[in-house]
Amino acid sequence: MSKAMRDPVVGAALLVCAAVVPLVSHDRYIITQSTLFFIWATVVTQWNLVFGVGGIFSLAQMALFAFGAYGTAMLGYYGHWPMWLAIPVAALAASAASLLIGLACLRLRGPYVALLTLAIAQVLYLMIINDTECFLFNEGGCMPLFGGMRGIGSFGDLGFHAWLGPRYIIGDYFVALALLAAAFAFSIWLARGPFGLAFRALRDNPGYALSRGVSKFRYQLWIFALSSFFTGFAGAIYAGHFKFVGPTVFSFSLLLFLLSMIVVGGVGSTWGPVIGAALLMLADEGWKEAQDWRAFGMGLVLPAFLILLPDGVVGLFNRLQARRRAAPAHAELPAKAAEADL
Amino acid sequence: MDVWVQIVVSGLTLGALYAISTVGLSLVYGSMNMLNMAHGGILVIGGYTAFAASQWFGAPAIVSIVLAMAAGGLVGLLIFVVTAAPLLGSKNFETNIFIATIGVGAVLENSVLKVFGPYVKPQPVAFPGVLMLSGVAVPYQNVAILVVAMAMMAGVAALLQGTRTGRAIRATSQNRDAAQLMGVHVQKVYAQVLTLSGALAAISGVMISSLTSLSPTMGGDPMLKAFIICVVAGLGNTYGAAAAAIAIGFLEAGAQYAFGVRYGFASLLLLVIVVLIWRPSGLFGKSRIVRL
Repeated sequence: MSKAMRDPVVGAALLVCAAVVPLVSHDRYIITQSTLFFIWATVVTQWNLVFGVGGIFSLAQMALFAFGAYGTAMLGYYGHWPMWLAIPVAALAASAASLLIGLACLRLRGPYVALLTLAIAQVLYLMIINDTECFLFNEGGCMPLFGGMRGIGSFGDLGFHAWLGPRYIIGDYFVALALLAAAFAFSIWLARGPFGLAFRALRDNPGYALSRGVSKFRYQLWIFALSSFFTGFAGAIYAGHFKFVGPTVFSFSLLLFLLSMIVVGGVGSTWGPVIGAALLMLADEGWKEAQDWRAFGMGLVLPAFLILLPDGVVGLFNRLQARRRAAPAHAELPAKAAEADL
Repeated sequence: MDVWVQIVVSGLTLGALYAISTVGLSLVYGSMNMLNMAHGGILVIGGYTAFAASQWFGAPAIVSIVLAMAAGGLVGLLIFVVTAAPLLGSKNFETNIFIATIGVGAVLENSVLKVFGPYVKPQPVAFPGVLMLSGVAVPYQNVAILVVAMAMMAGVAALLQGTRTGRAIRATSQNRDAAQLMGVHVQKVYAQVLTLSGALAAISGVMISSLTSLSPTMGGDPMLKAFIICVVAGLGNTYGAAAAAIAIGFLEAGAQYAFGVRYGFASLLLLVIVVLIWRPSGLFGKSRIVRL
């Protein structure tokens, strides 16, 4: 099978497997954790587009996620919009926000981008938690415009509650699965299409690419804005699924958790972020027993992988495969063969 | 009149605080292109070391501060040995070290959390009392912060300008390859710079916690502000960073007075973005000519 065909076929097979799970298992815990996995995997595939493919080291990913989540919650809470209208509007709002952030940040060099995007996320967080002025009063008492520390709740859900009753989590499961499938297909299309080619040209021979009119800034801005649509969408689905949004989406430990997924899986690879998300969600289950040590483990994962396995699990797999294939023919040059395959 | 004195006092104090933590970061970036995201963690270690020395063993303030500096320097050195050294020369060193030190910072903060617990504590290393200055009460604490900051600046400047080590550090930041060819042991310079930066971070941790309070997460905000100051000055420009720190301290104090405390940081950030659009490599940064 050719390499271009392999990924959609494997993806479709996995999609079918995932679709069967809720029909076989009625374990609530498995269903809800899988739903969360689909949401995080969506976020990290889009982050990987920005970071791995576009070469933009942005830390505003969770801020864009928050735009989607808060947008949905606020449209539902204050405007009484139906959820399925609020969700795409909030995702578009996240894209618009990312255009603004991109215009301000993307002309800068790598480390400046990371610091500035992190600072923007932090300012949004501080604006939300320090907001104590009451926007309106309701049965719960004082309600700040962005919900303050308490967050925003009771603005609606994804609509399966009325239809499926207590089994609504299965509806949410399929919505999140469809989101991941769409986001993953989008990321393959973007990475292999004109955008991916442009970034590859800029990486392989920047002088030639620039003189042929491939503008790095324009392509980076595009990939930043396009990927933030699905990021915002994931945030909106998160809000609809949990029926609640709070400032915890900005938390540094969550950002660290998601960044670790990309690093563990393999920065810039197609499957890396999804595999990394699965591995870290499973590792997180293991750490549930030793909650105290979770943060230590999470902190150690990043330097350990960057030093020992800088291209992640996917890179390790590729290297092993290349070595196996190269072994009989030219056993003396395994390193060269591995490089050619990557 | 009183208001202006207040703004000047709090601006100077903020600026001095920022300057201490910024100079270390800037030195590290200047000599090895490393953005140390564990800086906030070292800040916390410094603050708590002084706390432990003073509260548990009854050490006087100066001894506590020196112990905090030693602890911070040690952590800085450890960060070099354990994370920076193995990553040196890797393909995307700048990005990789950034991500790796985020993890290290989390480990440092959690170690403190494990030992000292999550509750907010007062910093015992403090200078109580107030100085009356034309009808305005200026806490001795602010005076002490100013004095410590100036002593640190003078110390760092003397080190950079007057010693062999300082000359090696400057040579390495100006041109790493040339310095190496002239016989400068670049790895040793990196280790020294990270140790120095750790010690400076520890002092700023003690000072910041004496003004507010100790908590395991207190390092994040000052670190982010220090980074923003470095960015405004131009990453790696140490003297520019010190000047920018003072200026930004004044601006933040002014903005807090004019728009309320809530918007201090936000207005600061807006200003930074404007500066960066105007001068993409910072106020004092030289624009780099990229050769393809």
